[in-house]
Amino acid sequence: MSEPLVNARSVSIAYGAKRAVDDVSFTIPKGRVVGLLGHNGAGKSTLMKAMVGLAAAQGELSVLGLQPRRQRVQLLQGACYIPDVAILPRWARVDDIITLMSGLHPKFSADRARALLKRSSVRGSDKVKTLSKGMMVQAHLALIASIDARLMILDEPTLGLDVISRKAFYEMLIDEWCDGERSVLISTHQVEEIESLLSDVLMLNEGKLVLSISLEDMDRRFVALDHDPAVADRMAAAHPLLRYRSNPANGGARGATTAVFDGAPPEDVLALGQRVRPSLVDLFVALTRKPELDRQHF
Amino acid sequence: MVCYLTNTPDGTTNMSTWDDRQPIYQQLADLLASQLLDGQPKEGEAMPSVRVLATRHLLNPLTVQRALQALGDEGLLENRRGLGLFVTIGAHARLRATERQRFLETEWPRLRERLRRLGIGAEQLQWETQS
Repeated sequence: MSEPLVNARSVSIAYGAKRAVDDVSFTIPKGRVVGLLGHNGAGKSTLMKAMVGLAAAQGELSVLGLQPRRQRVQLLQGACYIPDVAILPRWARVDDIITLMSGLHPKFSADRARALLKRSSVRGSDKVKTLSKGMMVQAHLALIASIDARLMILDEPTLGLDVISRKAFYEMLIDEWCDGERSVLISTHQVEEIESLLSDVLMLNEGKLVLSISLEDMDRRFVALDHDPAVADRMAAAHPLLRYRSNPANGGARGATTAVFDGAPPEDVLALGQRVRPSLVDLFVALTRKPELDRQHF
Repeated sequence: MVCYLTNTPDGTTNMSTWDDRQPIYQQLADLLASQLLDGQPKEGEAMPSVRVLATRHLLNPLTVQRALQALGDEGLLENRRGLGLFVTIGAHARLRATERQRFLETEWPRLRERLRRLGIGAEQLQWETQS
């Protein structure tokens, strides 16, 4: 097993008295697509900033074997980052930015950037200020993906994009980035959409890491049971993480309910329902919900 | 936080065709198997690469690998060293046998029950497709 690209042990990040990230430990090996999920203010952006040296972190944090805060310049040779507030200079043409990047970044490939842009609706002669939000994101991603980096950190890259642009973005991500060596950490609120793209998930709730698991292990560890309303009380007595109305698309009876358990419940409870795949969005709701939101989900 | 609300069957933002019944890799394996049964690709031909399948279905490459592994375990695909995965000779017959068995064991009893409830006999069913 090669050295992980990211190694975080007991990482905390404080803004004044507030702990934005609280004692978080995880690793990101190579060849993974890791989703960083959490409500607004859960600490996602702060954690990402710390990984590229833009926020001071306590604890051990190494990215590509480097300390982000102290070895930032060296780190940015091998890691690239699109912040949630990413902007490109409005007055520039896309070609100008490619020229600029070629001069600035030793591992930037202008040819690759032009090849990637050909797949989008953005042309090199376009001025940034004429681009739509979706085109802007595609241009930005093409520029960043043209850096021969091993780790890409994307903070809500699909925010504000329509469904066509998001799909184009996901295709580009898989086709151009996932080669088994490079990894990407991506934060998003489009939990349902991105689930099938991910290999792993990190879930933050109020600064704490409430879940760090591969999607493969998630299927095994969490048990979701579709069940009839008649056995709802017995199901509830077994203390599921969450209960919600079943998705009728699964072919369950109308009014059926799904209960999600962390680990298999006792045999007699298991026998009351039909096992279905626990979806990431259900787990997200179960593990990060706030008390005042309870009634909306059930 | 509209992300919860998209958990609806007609969620307009849902771009995948995966349901919650089975792991996604299993659903992809089933989909690829049904395509093999239709001769896509034919026996002896190469399977599309992991990257092509991952991009086409918007799936993580590891999930695609698991699906291909599952088809390999069923003897439907074989790895030719350095060349990739190919559809095994005899895959079609094997798949057809499995599908027939599945129909006879699980689908037919349900269908028979429904026919019985509706009072439909064999003679009332149109066996030839109308031309």
